[in-house]
Amino acid sequence: MKILLCTNGSSHTVQALDLGTRVARAAASSVDILAMVERDREEEVHRLAEAAAGDLKAAGIPVTILRRTGRMAEEVVRQAQAAPYDLVIIGSRGRRGVVRLLLGSVALHVTKHAPASVLVVKGHARDLRQFVVCSSAGPVSEHTVRFAGRLARALGASVTLLHVMSQLPLAKDAVPDDLEASAEELIQRGSREGVHLSQMLDLLAMEGVATRAVARHGLVRDEIIAEAQEGRYDLVVTGAHVTPGLNARLVDNLSADILLAANRPVLMVRWRERRALNAGGDC
Amino acid sequence: MRSQQGKQVRWKKPGLGLSGLLLFALSLELMKQGAGGLAPLLRGHLAVTNAADSMGFGWLMAYLILSGSPVAAAGVALLSAGALSPLQAFTMVAGSRLGACLIVLLVGFIYTLRGHERRTALTAGVLSLLLTGSVQLVALPMGVLILSRGWLDGLSIPGLDGLAAGVNRGLEPLIGPLAAFLPGWALFVAGVGLVMLSFRLFGRSLPQMRLERTDFGQVPRLVYRPEVMFLMGLAITLVTMSVSISVGILVPLSARGYMRRENIIPYILGANISTLADTLVAAALLRDPRAVTVVATHMVCAAIVSLLVILLAYRPYERAISDALTWITRRRRNFAFFLGVIFVIPVVLILL
Repeated sequence: MKILLCTNGSSHTVQALDLGTRVARAAASSVDILAMVERDREEEVHRLAEAAAGDLKAAGIPVTILRRTGRMAEEVVRQAQAAPYDLVIIGSRGRRGVVRLLLGSVALHVTKHAPASVLVVKGHARDLRQFVVCSSAGPVSEHTVRFAGRLARALGASVTLLHVMSQLPLAKDAVPDDLEASAEELIQRGSREGVHLSQMLDLLAMEGVATRAVARHGLVRDEIIAEAQEGRYDLVVTGAHVTPGLNARLVDNLSADILLAANRPVLMVRWRERRALNAGGDC
Repeated sequence: MRSQQGKQVRWKKPGLGLSGLLLFALSLELMKQGAGGLAPLLRGHLAVTNAADSMGFGWLMAYLILSGSPVAAAGVALLSAGALSPLQAFTMVAGSRLGACLIVLLVGFIYTLRGHERRTALTAGVLSLLLTGSVQLVALPMGVLILSRGWLDGLSIPGLDGLAAGVNRGLEPLIGPLAAFLPGWALFVAGVGLVMLSFRLFGRSLPQMRLERTDFGQVPRLVYRPEVMFLMGLAITLVTMSVSISVGILVPLSARGYMRRENIIPYILGANISTLADTLVAAALLRDPRAVTVVATHMVCAAIVSLLVILLAYRPYERAISDALTWITRRRRNFAFFLGVIFVIPVVLILL
């Protein structure tokens, strides 16, 4: 796995560099460290990048330090487009409301424009031992689950597959049983969601990852955040917003909402083959 | 032979639509002619003397005939005949929208009695009422303010004015003898009956709408942007003129009859605005600028409130509606309480 770590010396990017180094030690085949050099932090950024590089080299991983100046969001995207990274790791300050509206979000910009999957480090970033992976029972989910499974195997983490059913029964002859069923019941019944969950559990089991499935009922956004908090997960994994064409304007970008609302690291897995997909977010 | 059948099919829907329009115009004129004689009955026996009364009256009338649009049309006809003030007509139209949700609820209730699952049968009706009620809570005082300040006075729909004049001239020879022969209340009742028939004809004249192969084919599965679903509900209901028909167009998209709540909430919010398009046409056909103002005020207020919700407070609103829906449909007792509330409120309004 080729990983790009990014820092500009600010506290949240230092945290991202720290967690990113630990992830890279377990999962990377090569690492580039993008050091954003700012006038007042030049020495500090240099020291941080060198320390991380030394750490990774000691683990036998080839490392290159790339020094850049300018706006961090644009430079990260430019670098992510320049080489075939599997994963970009950045920090997020966690701005909210008007401040975010005025100053923007580096993490959002990167997740929107970088062609690779992005791990956004925010909140209290512990070792990544428990993942919650959002699954939409759509075609993109398989890629998301595979990617999360590979990372979980490398880190020795367990995975909880989460599927949220926000549907309401509107047809007179609709059978609403699935809308309150647990993951086990969905799997037993062989419903569309159950078949998908079962397949994804098998896929993770083949990676040698400890797994379980959870189904929640309610608004997708709220239920994912609630599960992430109640389950004390270390990482929320979701598929990136990859809908092409007109659908990109029509479909809601749930992944971005989850990224903004979560108070812990979020991994947005991007499907790199830009086929004519019809899926918006993976949850 | 086959081409003759094809021609018949080709002309059937426009024919039904045109017949519906003529019948609609006739029913409005009958209601207007008959409404004058109803004023003493409304003010005396039914005690419809203020805006709260007329709202309760419109609400209960919609319950009684299981439809909102004929009651809204009756409201503007009563205004046009001087039996109601603009404010009373406004609240009667609002009441008719709230009462209109009962048909969906009642059908669901009958299905429940026949052994269907409670949540399946009742969800659409409860959701419609929650959305309409929550919007009306803010739209009503806003509309009262707009009407009292006269900000939308003097509105007219240019194209329809001429058409209305022509249609009414054509109907005069029919209405004159009927008005001479029947008492006022009978003319009004006949008008309400014919307006219901005209909506049936409109319904049968609608083109088949299929969304499966469009960009909205994934509505049951994907979560669309609320503003997109809002505009979709607005546009589709502008054609169908009925919220329940518009929701019915979405249902076949899912084999299991499921729809994501994130999509259906803004869809119904949009549909609630354009469902009054037929009442706006009714107001124009009556050639009464006050009637047009009343209906337009209702639509503008509902649009402003819905847009403010969508743009500024959608997430908490969506959460509150979703939670309320879950609570109401979870237990029989909760649903009975909800049913009690929606029957008691219009009665209380009439007693005020």
